Amino acid sequence: MIRFENVRKSYKKTTVLNNVNFEIEAGTFTVLIGPSGCGKTTSLKMINRLIEPDAGRILIKGEYIHSLDRIRLRRSIGYVIQQIGLFPNMTVEQNIAVVPKLLKYQPAQITDMVHELLAMVKMPYKDFAGKYPYQLSGGQQQRIGVLRALAASPPIILMDEPFAALDPMTRSSLQDEVKNLQQQLNKTIVFVTHDMDEALNLADKIIFLDKGNIVQMASPEEMLENPATNLIRSFMGKRIGGPDQPPEYAADFMRTNYHRVNKNKGIRECIESMDRNNVDSLLVVNDDKTYAGTVSLKTLKNSAKSGVFALKRKGSDGKLHHVITPHVTCERPTSFIDEEARVCFEKLLETDSRYVVVLNHDDTIAGIVTDTSVAKALADVFWSDEI
Amino acid sequence: MTDFFQMYGWKLAEAVLVHLYYVVISVALAFIIAVLMAVVLSRLPRLSRVILPAVSVSQTIPGIVFIGVLFIFLGMVPLTVFTALTIYAIFPILKNTYVGIMEVEPQYKEAALGCGMSARQTLCMVELPLAAPAIFTGLKMSCVYTVSWAVLASMIGLGGLGEFIYIGVSTNNNALILAGAIPAAVMAVILSYCIERLKIRSLTWQQRREIQ
Amino acid sequence: MNLSLVLEHLVLVLFTILFTLLFGLPLGIYAYFDRRAKKVVLWSVEILQTIPALALLGVIMVVAGAGKATVICGLTLYSMLPVVHNTYLGLSEVSPAIKEVAIGMGMTRAYRLFHVELPIAFPVIFTGIRIATVTAIGAAVFATFVGGGGLGSVIYRGIRTQNMTMILGGTLSLMLMAVIIDCSMGFVEGRLHRHRRK
Repeated sequence: MIRFENVRKSYKKTTVLNNVNFEIEAGTFTVLIGPSGCGKTTSLKMINRLIEPDAGRILIKGEYIHSLDRIRLRRSIGYVIQQIGLFPNMTVEQNIAVVPKLLKYQPAQITDMVHELLAMVKMPYKDFAGKYPYQLSGGQQQRIGVLRALAASPPIILMDEPFAALDPMTRSSLQDEVKNLQQQLNKTIVFVTHDMDEALNLADKIIFLDKGNIVQMASPEEMLENPATNLIRSFMGKRIGGPDQPPEYAADFMRTNYHRVNKNKGIRECIESMDRNNVDSLLVVNDDKTYAGTVSLKTLKNSAKSGVFALKRKGSDGKLHHVITPHVTCERPTSFIDEEARVCFEKLLETDSRYVVVLNHDDTIAGIVTDTSVAKALADVFWSDEI
Repeated sequence: MTDFFQMYGWKLAEAVLVHLYYVVISVALAFIIAVLMAVVLSRLPRLSRVILPAVSVSQTIPGIVFIGVLFIFLGMVPLTVFTALTIYAIFPILKNTYVGIMEVEPQYKEAALGCGMSARQTLCMVELPLAAPAIFTGLKMSCVYTVSWAVLASMIGLGGLGEFIYIGVSTNNNALILAGAIPAAVMAVILSYCIERLKIRSLTWQQRREIQ
Repeated sequence: MNLSLVLEHLVLVLFTILFTLLFGLPLGIYAYFDRRAKKVVLWSVEILQTIPALALLGVIMVVAGAGKATVICGLTLYSMLPVVHNTYLGLSEVSPAIKEVAIGMGMTRAYRLFHVELPIAFPVIFTGIRIATVTAIGAAVFATFVGGGGLGSVIYRGIRTQNMTMILGGTLSLMLMAVIIDCSMGFVEGRLHRHRRK
């Protein structure tokens, strides 16, 4: 459908595109991605001749586009940009109808078309057709932007970071809508983005560009499995090697929000704190923050009832308090942060403790592993990021 | 040509000076009055809602009327010309200064208060400097108008370049018209250019300040 | 006070504005299209407005003789600045994104100008026309000196004969005219801006 043959472009001394070759098949969703300045937008704008290459050829349906009439070419290609660019002086209906009018379609035909298009994005004609762009939200505006590009039913649509300025919620629902429209209407879409999530979501094929060269051209699956370079790997971020592999070390799945007290805290204070936080034991630390043991709610309550207090200390208010030190035990299983996950799991399962305390190498507390955190870690492996 | 200058040379030079004298004194007076008024009005938003539209309306009165009416009351003295020109020159400066002060972004005023500036310091160190480009635009407009209206001084026999134009128009003497019109035009262009330079300087100074 | 003088004044202003638009709009558009011409065009109209109105009329009278044509010609030159300037400004303020999309959709240069750029710039251009109109009403007072009639003649006669009623009558009619026209144009302007806000 669209073929780039040895396309080059440079501005003064900087090379934007360096002998680029690729082919886009009809009816596919192709995403151009890469760091800023990689040449992705330049490539896109060459397709509707907003930018002309210095060398090389671009062909659409086997026709050399540089020999076609520029204006006619553009009318046969839909174009959506990040800034949306709805004409503020025209209503929604007039905006959508721009290209059909340029192509001199019959008025009745245009009205039908507008009805149909608005229905596709579930914006009722009677509510929206007469509105001006400023009366719409950002998401609605870009929906109209997309419809405008679809209006004259061009086989090819170019989209230049169309959703970059929208909030995440709106963006993801627009992505779904565009993907659906593309499949329904069987369009060839060329889409520029710098957001890998978006690319993986939408693309049939991803073309990764860097400094004017194609680094990799592959399906999302393939790119996830076999990223060609470290740059692509870093673009993929956590999606690579993250959830696909089980957690290796204790540190990978511990919880870091736990309740910790100094061993010189008063008994009543600790009981009150446990009640308030709805926990039945606390982690106890020495003055130098190293792990001293744990103390359970039951022990403290018993001792308070029996009135047997072993040790008194001066509290922060200057009065003597009964402190928790004598009740601290070291029965809980512990792991170091770099202990293997499996060993840690076993400790949790073999003892009847509700949790394993994870320690740093200087004996300070790093976190705890509970049965819930294990379950979550396992779920992550199986269902990746859906949870 | 030579004959013309031999005949009118000295008179023309004198007329240019008289004209310039009228313009400079009136605009200077108007500038002081207008800036003071604008500052006061910017502190009294309720009063300015009444006064500013009144000022806009008075601005539609042609300068010729001021001179004419004052002439009836004050007679054929330079004071008539000065008063009329000053009143007329106040309007553009007043309006621009007021708008300039009001359009200073609240963030700067807040920052000034936060720095512990007094109201007067805020005015002199923040509001007026930031409003400077607008003030100069007003000053330029006033100057151009005043050069134009000062032509009318001759209407009540008080000289200036208007005398040449006036006599030329009424006696159909083209040379005299041009002898008055061209220096007046040149004077307006030069004055406006000088003020434009000042405005540009005030702008770059402002930008330097903002960057630092 | 007679109504025919008010009408005469209005007619002078009307023709002035017509001619100002006839020349000012294309000049503004030209300044927008051609970067090199921009400076020259904007600079010349600015100089034109700097020249005292009476002097400008006087000079034109030297060439064209006394009469209404001279007045209209002089006032047209005099009111050119706001129209040319705002036309240029309005067109260049159209957001680059919109221009790009318009090109990308395959609009021709002329289609873009008439269907996108000019309509979007129109509120700004209209503001320029409004300023030009009010300026022209005031400056048309000078018409009387070059035989163009209008309200200036009443005022001038009043001053010469020291007739306060005459002066005030002329002045008040003039102010009234200016205020009414300015307000009604201001109203239209407000509506334009409201519908085309971004």
